Amino acid sequence: MAKHDVIIVGGGPAGMAAAGVLAGHGLLVGVIEQRQKPGGAIYRQPIAGLAPVARSRAASRRFQSLLTNLDRPGVSFLASRVFLGIDADGYVLCEDRTCNVVERLKARAVILATGAVEKVMPRPGWELDGVSTAGGLQVMMKETARPPAGRVLLAGSGPLLVAVAAQMASLGNPPVAIIEAGDPIGHIADGLGLLAHPALLAEAFSYMFQVQKSPTRWIRASNLAAIERKDGSLQCTVVRRDGKVERLEVDRVGLHDGIAPNNFGLPAARDTNGIMPLILHAGDCREALGAVAAGADGARAGLAALAFVGKTFQDGGPVGRALEQQRHAQTLLARLFAPVRPQRLGNLPDNTLLCRCEGRTVGDLRRLVERDDALTGREVKHNGRFAMGSCQGRFCAAATAALMSELRPGDPPAAASDITGQRWPVRPVSIAALIHAASDQTPIEK
Amino acid sequence: MSQNVFSWMGRSVAFRDGESIAAALEHVGIRCFGTDDQGLPRRYFCGIGACQNCLVLVDGRTVEACLMPASAGLVVRALEVPHGQA
Repeated sequence: MAKHDVIIVGGGPAGMAAAGVLAGHGLLVGVIEQRQKPGGAIYRQPIAGLAPVARSRAASRRFQSLLTNLDRPGVSFLASRVFLGIDADGYVLCEDRTCNVVERLKARAVILATGAVEKVMPRPGWELDGVSTAGGLQVMMKETARPPAGRVLLAGSGPLLVAVAAQMASLGNPPVAIIEAGDPIGHIADGLGLLAHPALLAEAFSYMFQVQKSPTRWIRASNLAAIERKDGSLQCTVVRRDGKVERLEVDRVGLHDGIAPNNFGLPAARDTNGIMPLILHAGDCREALGAVAAGADGARAGLAALAFVGKTFQDGGPVGRALEQQRHAQTLLARLFAPVRPQRLGNLPDNTLLCRCEGRTVGDLRRLVERDDALTGREVKHNGRFAMGSCQGRFCAAATAALMSELRPGDPPAAASDITGQRWPVRPVSIAALIHAASDQTPIEK
Repeated sequence: MSQNVFSWMGRSVAFRDGESIAAALEHVGIRCFGTDDQGLPRRYFCGIGACQNCLVLVDGRTVEACLMPASAGLVVRALEVPHGQA
């Protein structure tokens, strides 16, 4: 069994930064990554022989510098492994997807750096094939250097939609339109606040310029209300700022309503108790602030793990300030892109899917929640099967909690974490692969 | 090199080295990966292994098409729908 002082889960910016700090001080580090190559979603690498999709020079420099961390002596990059959790004996469990074997790894500290997931507001038709998250379309573009084919509509809210549109345009297939719920151009003061973040502003302008010179329409203060399959196309109903309805026929839809920490089911950050390792969360899975902050936060977690194992080190500098800056930038962006007419989930038709995996609808939740005896989040899961399916609540728990709160305004607000709970496996795993781990004869280390 | 193909439901699908199964299927216009036990289409959605919408059977193993690298000769199929729920 491999020996690691620290195990890092996730080969994105936070994980790579943490690995650099730890290996730089002589520790043995294992970095678990579900894909074949490091980078995470933000720095998803193209397949062999292709040039990366256009990104800012600063971003390329950041990635190249993070990559060198993995070449340091003492770092093992454990590719194609899906993290499952930490068991009661303090072992990190992960499945090696190249051979479908669950491995049990022991370390004194574990840094969880599992990144973010996209928020996707439920709307009629979001379950159809041809509908993906905008970030999903983006990572595929980064991997294949091909834009999604056909007529593409991007919808939801946030700067990522503009970035994806710009990258699609640069690869030769700009989207038909971006349906943006906010109206960033209408917020002069917040826009001026971005002057404090010149790198971000430069990136935003370059994307906006790219979209501006393409035929893509940027339709702001508007919502994609519904998607229907019609004769092989996706018929999209857009409600415009003035309430007018417009229909767009496309082949592909990319949805995105911001990002949230991918912390579903993860063990909480905690001190060691002699059996369990020290557990730290780092990067977007702790606070979703984007790649720059994730790098800084990964370094912070690396230093915390160093201190824990008793290594002396020189403080790397003002990590706190880097996080503060990125938090400020993200707050401004959130205000810039705040939906002009926030949608009430309760206004969705009853047959709109909330929980895609289990096929549970808005109407199903309404019937559960509108009983006299209020159900807790946990009961909504166990009685109603919300967040019970294989995505384990990543794409429905937040909306389910929000609708519960809408439907029972007098009750304490529901929380997504009450619905999902915390337990391993955090990702589905075959029983055969688990049995292999259980029959592993390696004696348990003390 | 001409052998960079896997099979999807009996059809040959070409791929480039390092590409995921989902990316290769997308390129030939296959966007529906079968139907799940709710009767809903399986499809590429999040691209990061989180949503589990793109599960397929690869040589008999259930895997996310977005995570699984394509390789020559793989037999890829839609997951079977339990009897009575098709």
